Amino acid sequence: MTDEKTWSKPRPNIDADSREFWDGLTRHELLLWTCEKCQTAYWPKSYCINHENTEFAENMSWQPSTGLGRIFAMNRHEYSFHPGFKEDVPYFYALIELDEGPLISSTIIGKQPTSVIADVGRRVRIAYEDHPEEGFTLPRFELIDE
Amino acid sequence: MTTRNRIAVVGLGTVHQAPEGTSQRMMAAEAARRAIADAGLSISDIDGAIDLRRTGGGGDRASYTDAFTRVLGLPAQFYFTIGRGGALGGLATAAATGFLDRGLAKYIVCVGAVDDWTKAQAAKKQGHRGMSHTEKEGYWGKVLGDLRAASHHSWMAARHMAVYGTTSEQLGAISVAQRAWACLNPEARMHGRPITIEDHQASPWVVEPYHLLDVSLISDGAIAFVLTTEDRAKDCARTPVYVSGQGFGEVAADLWWKKENFTHMAVAPAKEKAFAQAGLNGVEDIDCAQLYDCFTAEVLFQLEDYGWCKKGEGGEFVAAGNIGRGGTIPVNTGGGLLSNWHLGDLTGYAEAVTQLRGEGGDRQIDDCKVALTTGHGGELVSPGMCSIHTSTILAVD
Repeated sequence: MTDEKTWSKPRPNIDADSREFWDGLTRHELLLWTCEKCQTAYWPKSYCINHENTEFAENMSWQPSTGLGRIFAMNRHEYSFHPGFKEDVPYFYALIELDEGPLISSTIIGKQPTSVIADVGRRVRIAYEDHPEEGFTLPRFELIDE
Repeated sequence: MTTRNRIAVVGLGTVHQAPEGTSQRMMAAEAARRAIADAGLSISDIDGAIDLRRTGGGGDRASYTDAFTRVLGLPAQFYFTIGRGGALGGLATAAATGFLDRGLAKYIVCVGAVDDWTKAQAAKKQGHRGMSHTEKEGYWGKVLGDLRAASHHSWMAARHMAVYGTTSEQLGAISVAQRAWACLNPEARMHGRPITIEDHQASPWVVEPYHLLDVSLISDGAIAFVLTTEDRAKDCARTPVYVSGQGFGEVAADLWWKKENFTHMAVAPAKEKAFAQAGLNGVEDIDCAQLYDCFTAEVLFQLEDYGWCKKGEGGEFVAAGNIGRGGTIPVNTGGGLLSNWHLGDLTGYAEAVTQLRGEGGDRQIDDCKVALTTGHGGELVSPGMCSIHTSTILAVD
Protein backbone atom coordinates (compact mmCIF):
# COMPACT_ATOMS: atom_id res chain seq x y z
CA MET A 1 0.00 0.00 0.00
CA THR A 2 1.14 3.47 -0.72
CA ASP A 3 0.82 6.26 1.76
CA GLU A 4 0.57 9.94 0.94
CA LYS A 5 2.47 10.66 4.15
CA THR A 6 5.58 9.09 2.69
CA TRP A 7 5.03 9.81 -1.02
CA SER A 8 3.51 13.13 -1.98
CA LYS A 9 4.57 13.22 -5.63
CA PRO A 10 2.79 11.87 -8.70
CA ARG A 11 3.44 8.20 -9.38
CA PRO A 12 4.65 6.73 -12.66
CA ASN A 13 2.08 5.09 -14.91
CA ILE A 14 3.57 1.64 -15.47
CA ASP A 15 1.79 -0.31 -18.17
CA ALA A 16 2.32 -3.40 -20.31
CA ASP A 17 4.68 -1.53 -22.62
CA SER A 18 6.88 -0.10 -19.88
CA ARG A 19 6.78 -2.82 -17.18
CA GLU A 20 10.09 -4.40 -18.19
CA PHE A 21 11.76 -0.99 -18.33
CA TRP A 22 10.64 -0.18 -14.77
CA ASP A 23 11.57 -3.67 -13.57
CA GLY A 24 15.04 -3.11 -15.06
CA LEU A 25 15.45 0.08 -13.05
CA THR A 26 14.77 -1.76 -9.80
CA ARG A 27 17.68 -4.08 -10.73
CA HIS A 28 19.75 -0.96 -11.57
CA GLU A 29 19.68 -1.62 -15.28
CA LEU A 30 18.63 1.02 -17.81
CA LEU A 31 16.94 -0.90 -20.61
CA LEU A 32 16.40 0.37 -24.12
CA TRP A 33 14.02 -1.15 -26.64
CA THR A 34 16.45 -2.44 -29.24
CA CYS A 35 16.03 -3.86 -32.72
CA GLU A 36 17.62 -7.29 -33.00
CA LYS A 37 18.16 -6.82 -36.75
CA CYS A 38 19.84 -3.39 -36.89
CA GLN A 39 20.61 -2.75 -33.20
CA THR A 40 18.90 0.66 -33.24
CA ALA A 41 17.80 1.56 -29.72
CA TYR A 42 14.51 3.26 -28.82
CA TRP A 43 12.81 4.61 -25.77
CA PRO A 44 9.93 4.30 -25.07
CA LYS A 45 8.83 1.15 -26.86
CA SER A 46 8.12 1.48 -30.57
CA TYR A 47 8.51 -0.30 -33.90
CA CYS A 48 11.87 0.03 -35.66
CA ILE A 49 11.77 2.76 -38.32
CA ASN A 50 14.56 1.27 -40.43
CA HIS A 51 12.78 -1.72 -41.97
CA GLU A 52 9.68 -3.92 -41.83
CA ASN A 53 8.78 -5.28 -38.39
CA THR A 54 7.22 -8.49 -37.21
CA GLU A 55 3.90 -8.51 -35.33
CA PHE A 56 3.79 -6.28 -32.28
CA ALA A 57 7.47 -5.41 -32.88
CA GLU A 58 8.60 -8.84 -31.74
CA ASN A 59 11.81 -8.28 -33.68
CA MET A 60 12.84 -6.06 -30.76
CA SER A 61 13.70 -6.55 -27.10
CA TRP A 62 14.83 -4.67 -24.00
CA GLN A 63 18.63 -4.48 -23.85
CA PRO A 64 20.88 -2.82 -21.27
CA SER A 65 22.19 0.67 -21.99
CA THR A 66 25.60 1.92 -20.92
CA GLY A 67 23.71 4.56 -18.96
CA LEU A 68 26.06 7.17 -20.39
CA GLY A 69 25.07 10.24 -22.33
CA ARG A 70 25.26 13.99 -22.73
CA ILE A 71 23.06 16.87 -21.67
CA PHE A 72 21.08 17.88 -24.77
CA ALA A 73 19.03 20.65 -23.14
CA MET A 74 18.46 21.72 -19.56
CA ASN A 75 16.45 24.00 -17.35
CA ARG A 76 16.35 24.92 -13.68
CA HIS A 77 13.04 24.70 -11.85
CA GLU A 78 12.81 27.56 -9.39
CA TYR A 79 9.12 27.19 -8.70
CA SER A 80 7.33 24.15 -7.33
CA PHE A 81 4.30 23.46 -9.52
CA HIS A 82 3.26 20.64 -7.20
CA PRO A 83 3.34 20.54 -3.41
CA GLY A 84 5.34 17.31 -3.51
CA PHE A 85 8.33 19.17 -4.96
CA LYS A 86 8.48 22.03 -2.47
CA GLU A 87 11.62 20.63 -0.86
CA ASP A 88 13.22 19.84 -4.22
CA VAL A 89 13.38 23.30 -5.82
CA PRO A 90 15.57 24.55 -7.25
CA TYR A 91 16.43 21.52 -9.38
CA PHE A 92 18.04 21.01 -12.77
CA TYR A 93 15.85 19.04 -15.16
CA ALA A 94 17.69 17.82 -18.23
CA LEU A 95 17.05 16.14 -21.52
CA ILE A 96 19.77 13.52 -21.92
CA GLU A 97 20.94 12.11 -25.23
CA LEU A 98 22.07 8.60 -24.41
CA ASP A 99 25.14 7.23 -26.18
CA GLU A 100 22.86 4.63 -27.81
CA GLY A 101 20.77 7.43 -29.35
CA PRO A 102 17.47 7.87 -27.52
CA LEU A 103 16.53 10.95 -25.54
CA ILE A 104 15.40 10.55 -21.94
CA SER A 105 14.78 13.15 -19.27
CA SER A 106 15.45 13.41 -15.57
CA THR A 107 17.03 15.59 -12.91
CA ILE A 108 20.72 16.01 -12.17
CA ILE A 109 21.72 14.79 -8.71
CA GLY A 110 25.01 15.12 -6.84
CA LYS A 111 27.34 17.87 -7.99
CA GLN A 112 25.11 20.50 -9.61
CA PRO A 113 25.56 22.11 -13.02
CA THR A 114 26.46 25.79 -13.05
CA SER A 115 24.48 26.95 -16.10
CA VAL A 116 21.47 25.76 -18.08
CA ILE A 117 23.26 26.98 -21.20
CA ALA A 118 26.98 26.44 -20.68
CA ASP A 119 26.59 22.91 -19.34
CA VAL A 120 24.83 21.65 -22.46
CA GLY A 121 26.99 18.85 -23.84
CA ARG A 122 28.36 17.76 -20.42
CA ARG A 123 28.77 14.02 -19.90
CA VAL A 124 26.38 12.30 -17.53
CA ARG A 125 25.80 8.82 -16.16
CA ILE A 126 22.65 7.27 -14.80
CA ALA A 127 22.15 7.02 -11.04
CA TYR A 128 19.42 4.90 -9.49
CA GLU A 129 17.17 6.24 -6.78
CA ASP A 130 15.39 3.36 -5.06
CA HIS A 131 11.95 3.68 -3.50
CA PRO A 132 11.29 0.10 -2.39
CA GLU A 133 8.27 1.06 -0.30
CA GLU A 134 6.69 2.51 -3.45
CA GLY A 135 7.78 -0.37 -5.65
CA PHE A 136 9.83 1.62 -8.15
CA THR A 137 13.30 3.01 -8.80
CA LEU A 138 13.70 6.40 -10.43
CA PRO A 139 16.42 7.08 -12.99
CA ARG A 140 18.48 10.18 -12.17
CA PHE A 141 21.66 11.43 -13.79
CA GLU A 142 24.94 12.74 -12.42
CA LEU A 143 27.69 14.77 -14.03
CA ILE A 144 30.89 12.89 -14.82
CA ASP A 145 34.26 14.05 -16.11
CA GLU A 146 34.98 13.58 -19.81
CA MET B 1 -6.34 29.15 -58.17
CA THR B 2 -8.98 26.62 -57.33
CA THR B 3 -12.50 27.20 -58.56
CA ARG B 4 -13.89 25.48 -55.49
CA ASN B 5 -16.31 27.43 -53.34
CA ARG B 6 -14.21 29.18 -50.71
CA ILE B 7 -14.89 28.76 -46.98
CA ALA B 8 -15.50 31.87 -44.91
CA VAL B 9 -15.68 32.90 -41.28
CA VAL B 10 -18.98 34.78 -41.02
CA GLY B 11 -19.55 35.01 -37.29
CA LEU B 12 -17.35 35.57 -34.25
CA GLY B 13 -18.43 35.35 -30.61
CA THR B 14 -16.26 35.80 -27.55
CA VAL B 15 -16.86 35.46 -23.84
CA HIS B 16 -14.03 37.40 -22.28
CA GLN B 17 -13.44 37.28 -18.54
CA ALA B 18 -16.70 35.61 -17.60
CA PRO B 19 -17.62 35.69 -13.91
CA GLU B 20 -15.32 33.33 -11.98
CA GLY B 21 -16.85 29.90 -11.69
CA THR B 22 -18.84 30.03 -14.97
CA SER B 23 -18.80 26.50 -16.40
CA GLN B 24 -17.06 25.71 -19.65
CA ARG B 25 -20.35 24.48 -21.14
CA MET B 26 -22.12 27.77 -20.38
CA MET B 27 -19.26 29.87 -21.71
CA ALA B 28 -19.17 27.73 -24.86
CA ALA B 29 -22.93 27.99 -25.36
CA GLU B 30 -22.87 31.76 -24.85
CA ALA B 31 -19.95 32.27 -27.24
CA ALA B 32 -21.76 30.13 -29.85
CA ARG B 33 -24.96 32.14 -29.37
CA ARG B 34 -23.03 35.36 -29.92
CA ALA B 35 -21.21 34.06 -33.00
CA ILE B 36 -24.45 32.91 -34.61
CA ALA B 37 -26.08 36.29 -33.91
CA ASP B 38 -22.98 38.09 -35.21
CA ALA B 39 -23.40 36.25 -38.51
CA GLY B 40 -27.00 37.36 -38.73
CA LEU B 41 -28.11 33.75 -38.45
CA SER B 42 -30.40 31.95 -36.03
CA ILE B 43 -29.80 28.76 -34.13
CA SER B 44 -32.02 26.82 -36.51
CA ASP B 45 -29.69 27.70 -39.42
CA ILE B 46 -26.76 25.86 -37.83
CA ASP B 47 -26.52 22.26 -38.97
CA GLY B 48 -23.01 21.35 -37.82
CA ALA B 49 -21.21 21.84 -34.50
CA ILE B 50 -17.62 21.29 -33.47
CA ASP B 51 -16.55 21.45 -29.82
CA LEU B 52 -12.88 22.38 -29.44
CA ARG B 53 -11.25 20.63 -26.53
CA ARG B 54 -7.55 20.39 -25.81
CA THR B 55 -7.78 16.69 -25.17
CA GLY B 56 -9.88 16.17 -28.29
CA GLY B 57 -12.68 14.42 -26.41
CA GLY B 58 -10.21 12.34 -24.45
CA GLY B 59 -12.61 11.83 -21.61
CA ASP B 60 -12.03 14.59 -19.08
CA ARG B 61 -15.43 16.09 -19.81
CA ALA B 62 -18.77 14.52 -20.60
CA SER B 63 -19.54 14.34 -24.28
CA TYR B 64 -23.29 14.77 -24.43
CA THR B 65 -24.30 16.51 -21.21
CA ASP B 66 -21.36 18.87 -21.64
CA ALA B 67 -22.10 19.55 -25.29
CA PHE B 68 -22.80 23.21 -25.97
CA THR B 69 -25.36 22.07 -28.53
CA ARG B 70 -27.34 20.42 -25.73
CA VAL B 71 -27.05 23.54 -23.55
CA LEU B 72 -28.08 25.85 -26.40
CA GLY B 73 -30.77 23.60 -27.87
CA LEU B 74 -28.91 23.67 -31.15
CA PRO B 75 -30.31 21.05 -33.55
CA ALA B 76 -27.10 20.28 -35.43
CA GLN B 77 -26.95 17.25 -37.69
CA PHE B 78 -23.53 16.45 -36.31
CA TYR B 79 -21.58 17.34 -33.22
CA PHE B 80 -18.11 16.17 -32.34
CA THR B 81 -15.05 17.18 -30.37
CA ILE B 82 -11.69 17.91 -31.87
CA GLY B 83 -8.49 19.53 -30.69
CA ARG B 84 -4.96 18.90 -29.72
CA GLY B 85 -3.59 21.14 -27.00
CA GLY B 86 -3.51 24.64 -28.40
CA ALA B 87 -4.28 23.47 -31.93
CA LEU B 88 -8.03 24.09 -32.01
CA GLY B 89 -9.27 26.65 -34.52
CA GLY B 90 -6.93 25.43 -37.25
CA LEU B 91 -8.10 21.83 -36.88
CA ALA B 92 -11.77 22.84 -36.67
CA THR B 93 -11.44 24.88 -39.84
CA ALA B 94 -9.90 21.97 -41.72
CA ALA B 95 -12.58 19.56 -40.51
CA ALA B 96 -15.41 21.97 -41.26
CA THR B 97 -14.04 22.61 -44.75
CA GLY B 98 -14.53 18.95 -45.58
CA PHE B 99 -18.11 18.94 -44.33
CA LEU B 100 -19.01 22.17 -46.14
CA ASP B 101 -17.31 21.10 -49.38
CA ARG B 102 -19.24 17.86 -49.37
CA GLY B 103 -22.53 19.55 -48.63
CA LEU B 104 -22.88 17.77 -45.30
CA ALA B 105 -23.56 21.09 -43.61
CA LYS B 106 -24.42 24.65 -44.57
CA TYR B 107 -23.31 26.51 -41.46
CA ILE B 108 -20.95 25.09 -38.84
CA VAL B 109 -20.32 26.62 -35.44
CA CYS B 110 -17.00 25.87 -33.73
CA VAL B 111 -16.42 26.70 -30.06
CA GLY B 112 -13.63 26.39 -27.54
CA ALA B 113 -13.93 27.22 -23.84
CA VAL B 114 -11.55 27.10 -20.88
CA ASP B 115 -11.92 27.62 -17.14
CA ASP B 116 -8.24 27.32 -16.30
CA TRP B 117 -8.22 30.41 -14.12
CA THR B 118 -11.10 29.16 -11.98
CA LYS B 119 -9.55 25.69 -11.75
CA ALA B 120 -6.16 27.13 -10.77
CA GLN B 121 -7.74 29.12 -7.94
CA ALA B 122 -9.58 26.01 -6.74
CA ALA B 123 -6.40 23.93 -6.83
CA LYS B 124 -4.60 26.54 -4.74
CA LYS B 125 -7.31 26.36 -2.09
CA GLN B 126 -7.33 22.57 -2.18
CA GLY B 127 -3.61 22.30 -1.44
CA HIS B 128 -2.16 18.80 -1.08
CA ARG B 129 -5.35 16.80 -1.27
CA GLY B 130 -5.55 14.43 -4.17
CA MET B 131 -2.20 15.50 -5.58
CA SER B 132 -0.42 12.16 -5.23
CA HIS B 133 -2.05 10.74 -8.32
CA THR B 134 -0.75 8.32 -10.89
CA GLU B 135 0.41 9.92 -14.08
CA LYS B 136 -1.80 9.68 -17.17
CA GLU B 137 -1.28 6.73 -19.46
CA GLY B 138 1.73 7.07 -21.73
CA TYR B 139 3.17 10.11 -20.02
CA TRP B 140 6.63 10.34 -18.54
CA GLY B 141 8.33 12.70 -16.18
CA LYS B 142 5.84 14.00 -13.61
CA VAL B 143 7.32 11.78 -10.92
CA LEU B 144 10.72 13.30 -11.77
CA GLY B 145 9.53 16.90 -11.66
CA ASP B 146 8.34 17.46 -15.24
CA LEU B 147 5.19 19.04 -13.96
CA ARG B 148 3.94 21.63 -16.39
CA ALA B 149 4.46 22.80 -19.96
CA ALA B 150 7.20 25.16 -18.74
CA SER B 151 9.10 22.11 -17.46
CA HIS B 152 9.92 20.98 -20.98
CA HIS B 153 9.10 23.91 -23.29
CA SER B 154 11.87 25.86 -21.57
CA TRP B 155 14.34 23.32 -22.97
CA MET B 156 13.66 24.70 -26.42
CA ALA B 157 14.48 28.24 -25.35
CA ALA B 158 17.59 26.96 -23.56
CA ARG B 159 18.69 24.95 -26.56
CA HIS B 160 18.24 27.94 -28.87
CA MET B 161 20.33 29.99 -26.45
CA ALA B 162 23.02 27.30 -26.34
CA VAL B 163 23.16 26.87 -30.12
CA TYR B 164 22.61 30.44 -31.37
CA GLY B 165 23.49 32.64 -28.42
CA THR B 166 19.97 34.00 -28.02
CA THR B 167 19.56 35.89 -24.74
CA SER B 168 16.84 36.21 -22.13
CA GLU B 169 16.66 39.96 -22.87
CA GLN B 170 15.87 39.15 -26.50
CA LEU B 171 13.03 36.84 -25.45
CA GLY B 172 11.94 39.67 -23.17
CA ALA B 173 11.57 41.90 -26.22
CA ILE B 174 8.76 39.60 -27.39
CA SER B 175 7.04 39.87 -24.04
CA VAL B 176 7.40 43.66 -24.01
CA ALA B 177 6.15 44.05 -27.61
CA GLN B 178 3.08 41.94 -26.97
CA ARG B 179 2.33 43.80 -23.77
CA ALA B 180 2.44 47.03 -25.76
CA TRP B 181 -0.15 45.54 -28.13
CA ALA B 182 -2.27 44.50 -25.13
CA CYS B 183 -2.16 48.07 -23.89
CA LEU B 184 -3.95 49.06 -27.12
CA ASN B 185 -6.61 46.38 -26.57
CA PRO B 186 -9.13 47.34 -23.87
CA GLU B 187 -10.31 43.72 -23.56
CA ALA B 188 -6.82 42.34 -22.84
CA ARG B 189 -6.14 40.99 -19.38
CA MET B 190 -2.96 43.06 -19.18
CA HIS B 191 -4.41 46.25 -20.67
CA GLY B 192 -3.07 49.27 -18.82
CA ARG B 193 -0.03 47.43 -17.47
CA PRO B 194 2.92 48.22 -19.77
CA ILE B 195 6.25 46.51 -19.07
CA THR B 196 9.91 47.09 -19.90
CA ILE B 197 12.82 44.74 -20.54
CA GLU B 198 13.94 45.55 -16.98
CA ASP B 199 10.56 44.37 -15.67
CA HIS B 200 10.96 41.17 -17.69
CA GLN B 201 14.44 40.58 -16.29
CA ALA B 202 13.31 41.36 -12.74
CA SER B 203 10.31 38.99 -12.89
CA PRO B 204 11.03 35.76 -11.00
CA TRP B 205 12.43 32.71 -12.69
CA VAL B 206 9.75 30.08 -13.13
CA VAL B 207 11.84 27.53 -14.96
CA GLU B 208 15.15 29.10 -16.00
CA PRO B 209 15.63 30.28 -18.78
CA TYR B 210 12.00 31.38 -18.47
CA HIS B 211 11.05 34.28 -16.28
CA LEU B 212 7.43 34.71 -15.23
CA LEU B 213 7.00 37.22 -18.08
CA ASP B 214 7.99 34.57 -20.65
CA VAL B 215 4.96 32.49 -19.68
CA SER B 216 1.43 32.79 -21.07
CA LEU B 217 -1.65 33.65 -19.08
CA ILE B 218 -4.22 31.36 -17.46
CA SER B 219 -7.74 32.32 -18.51
CA ASP B 220 -11.47 31.68 -18.32
CA GLY B 221 -13.50 32.27 -21.45
CA ALA B 222 -14.73 31.03 -24.79
CA ILE B 223 -14.38 31.85 -28.47
CA ALA B 224 -16.77 30.70 -31.19
CA PHE B 225 -16.86 31.18 -34.92
CA VAL B 226 -19.26 30.25 -37.70
CA LEU B 227 -18.02 28.87 -41.01
CA THR B 228 -19.92 28.59 -44.26
CA THR B 229 -19.34 28.52 -48.00
CA GLU B 230 -18.61 31.63 -50.05
CA ASP B 231 -22.00 31.76 -51.77
CA ARG B 232 -23.82 31.72 -48.44
CA ALA B 233 -21.25 34.00 -46.80
CA LYS B 234 -22.22 36.82 -49.12
CA ASP B 235 -25.74 36.79 -47.65
CA CYS B 236 -24.55 36.94 -44.03
CA ALA B 237 -24.48 40.08 -41.93
CA ARG B 238 -20.72 40.60 -41.84
CA THR B 239 -17.89 40.98 -44.30
CA PRO B 240 -16.71 37.43 -45.00
CA VAL B 241 -13.22 36.51 -43.81
CA TYR B 242 -11.99 33.80 -46.16
CA VAL B 243 -9.89 30.80 -45.26
CA SER B 244 -7.46 31.16 -48.12
CA GLY B 245 -4.94 28.50 -47.13
CA GLN B 246 -4.16 25.83 -44.58
CA GLY B 247 -1.32 23.45 -43.88
CA PHE B 248 -0.08 21.24 -41.06
CA GLY B 249 3.16 19.78 -39.85
CA GLU B 250 4.38 17.50 -37.07
CA VAL B 251 7.81 17.67 -35.47
CA ALA B 252 7.52 14.31 -33.74
CA ALA B 253 9.80 12.58 -36.24
CA ASP B 254 12.42 15.31 -35.97
CA LEU B 255 12.21 14.98 -32.23
CA TRP B 256 12.45 11.26 -31.77
CA TRP B 257 14.75 10.28 -34.59
CA LYS B 258 16.67 13.29 -35.76
CA LYS B 259 16.79 15.23 -32.47
CA GLU B 260 16.46 18.41 -34.44
CA ASN B 261 13.28 19.94 -33.23
CA PHE B 262 14.50 21.90 -30.28
CA THR B 263 15.12 25.03 -32.27
CA HIS B 264 12.27 24.86 -34.76
CA MET B 265 8.59 24.10 -35.15
CA ALA B 266 6.97 22.00 -37.89
CA VAL B 267 6.48 25.10 -39.99
CA ALA B 268 8.04 24.00 -43.30
CA PRO B 269 5.34 21.57 -44.53
CA ALA B 270 2.53 23.69 -43.08
CA LYS B 271 3.79 26.89 -44.69
CA GLU B 272 4.36 25.26 -48.06
CA LYS B 273 0.75 24.09 -48.35
CA ALA B 274 -0.92 27.11 -46.78
CA PHE B 275 1.01 29.69 -48.76
CA ALA B 276 0.53 27.82 -52.04
CA GLN B 277 -3.25 27.58 -51.55
CA ALA B 278 -3.43 31.25 -50.60
CA GLY B 279 -1.30 32.28 -53.56
CA LEU B 280 1.23 34.02 -51.33
CA ASN B 281 4.73 34.63 -52.63
CA GLY B 282 6.22 34.85 -49.16
CA VAL B 283 5.94 36.39 -45.73
CA GLU B 284 6.04 39.87 -47.25
CA ASP B 285 2.44 39.25 -48.36
CA ILE B 286 1.26 38.86 -44.75
CA ASP B 287 -0.11 41.95 -43.00
CA CYS B 288 -0.19 40.57 -39.46
CA ALA B 289 0.81 37.32 -37.81
CA GLN B 290 -0.98 35.74 -34.87
CA LEU B 291 1.70 33.26 -33.81
CA TYR B 292 1.02 30.67 -31.13
CA ASP B 293 2.83 32.00 -28.07
CA CYS B 294 2.48 29.65 -25.11
CA PHE B 295 5.99 30.92 -24.25
CA THR B 296 8.17 33.61 -25.78
CA ALA B 297 10.60 31.31 -27.61
CA GLU B 298 7.80 29.77 -29.69
CA VAL B 299 7.28 33.19 -31.28
CA LEU B 300 10.99 33.52 -31.99
CA PHE B 301 11.14 30.07 -33.59
CA GLN B 302 8.20 30.80 -35.87
CA LEU B 303 9.60 34.16 -37.01
CA GLU B 304 12.69 32.26 -38.13
CA ASP B 305 10.85 29.22 -39.51
CA TYR B 306 8.46 31.30 -41.64
CA GLY B 307 11.36 33.35 -42.91
CA TRP B 308 10.95 36.84 -41.47
CA CYS B 309 14.57 36.35 -40.44
CA LYS B 310 17.20 33.63 -40.68
CA LYS B 311 17.47 30.72 -38.25
CA GLY B 312 19.37 31.91 -35.23
CA GLU B 313 18.74 35.59 -35.90
CA GLY B 314 15.32 35.81 -34.25
CA GLY B 315 16.74 37.39 -31.11
CA GLU B 316 18.16 40.37 -32.96
CA PHE B 317 15.02 40.61 -35.08
CA VAL B 318 12.65 40.98 -32.14
CA ALA B 319 15.02 43.20 -30.16
CA ALA B 320 15.11 45.63 -33.10
CA GLY B 321 11.38 46.26 -32.71
CA ASN B 322 10.21 44.35 -35.76
CA ILE B 323 7.10 42.78 -34.22
CA GLY B 324 5.51 45.84 -32.65
CA ARG B 325 3.40 48.61 -34.07
CA GLY B 326 4.98 49.89 -37.29
CA GLY B 327 7.43 46.99 -37.37
CA THR B 328 8.20 44.64 -40.24
CA ILE B 329 5.48 42.22 -39.14
CA PRO B 330 2.97 43.06 -36.43
CA VAL B 331 2.78 39.94 -34.22
CA ASN B 332 0.01 39.00 -31.78
CA THR B 333 -1.65 42.35 -32.16
CA GLY B 334 -4.19 41.81 -29.38
CA GLY B 335 -1.49 40.90 -26.86
CA GLY B 336 -1.52 37.16 -27.58
CA LEU B 337 -1.50 34.38 -25.02
CA LEU B 338 1.19 36.27 -23.11
CA SER B 339 -0.83 39.43 -22.46
CA ASN B 340 -4.37 39.15 -23.85
CA TRP B 341 -5.92 35.83 -22.88
CA HIS B 342 -5.22 32.14 -23.40
CA LEU B 343 -7.71 30.17 -25.44
CA GLY B 344 -5.15 28.23 -27.41
CA ASP B 345 -4.92 29.21 -31.07
CA LEU B 346 -8.45 30.66 -30.88
CA THR B 347 -6.95 33.78 -29.29
CA GLY B 348 -4.98 34.53 -32.46
CA TYR B 349 -7.77 33.29 -34.74
CA ALA B 350 -10.24 35.75 -33.21
CA GLU B 351 -7.68 38.55 -33.36
CA ALA B 352 -7.03 37.83 -37.05
CA VAL B 353 -10.76 38.05 -37.80
CA THR B 354 -10.97 41.30 -35.81
CA GLN B 355 -8.06 42.83 -37.73
CA LEU B 356 -9.36 41.67 -41.13
CA ARG B 357 -12.76 43.19 -40.34
CA GLY B 358 -10.99 46.44 -39.49
CA GLU B 359 -12.35 46.40 -35.95
CA GLY B 360 -9.04 46.55 -34.09
CA GLY B 361 -9.64 50.05 -32.73
CA ASP B 362 -6.41 51.57 -31.44
CA ARG B 363 -4.44 48.48 -32.45
CA GLN B 364 -5.84 48.21 -36.00
CA ILE B 365 -3.25 47.46 -38.70
CA ASP B 366 -3.61 49.72 -41.73
CA ASP B 367 -5.05 48.01 -44.80
CA CYS B 368 -5.03 44.55 -43.23
CA LYS B 369 -5.99 42.04 -45.92
CA VAL B 370 -4.02 38.88 -45.11
CA ALA B 371 -3.42 37.39 -41.66
CA LEU B 372 -1.46 34.31 -40.64
CA THR B 373 -2.71 32.43 -37.60
CA THR B 374 -0.92 29.42 -36.16
CA GLY B 375 -1.54 26.75 -33.55
CA HIS B 376 0.51 24.24 -31.61
CA GLY B 377 -0.38 21.32 -29.48
CA GLY B 378 -0.18 17.66 -28.70
CA GLU B 379 1.99 16.79 -25.77
CA LEU B 380 4.28 13.93 -26.60
CA VAL B 381 5.51 11.64 -23.93
CA SER B 382 8.39 13.57 -22.41
CA PRO B 383 10.29 15.17 -23.96
CA GLY B 384 6.84 16.64 -24.20
CA MET B 385 6.50 19.36 -26.70
CA CYS B 386 3.86 20.58 -29.04
CA SER B 387 4.27 18.36 -32.07
CA ILE B 388 1.62 19.75 -34.41
CA HIS B 389 1.93 23.11 -36.12
CA THR B 390 -1.15 24.45 -37.87
CA SER B 391 -0.93 27.28 -40.36
CA THR B 392 -4.11 29.07 -41.40
CA ILE B 393 -4.23 32.07 -43.73
CA LEU B 394 -7.30 34.25 -43.31
CA ALA B 395 -8.01 37.03 -45.79
CA VAL B 396 -10.54 39.56 -46.97
CA ASP B 397 -11.11 40.52 -50.60
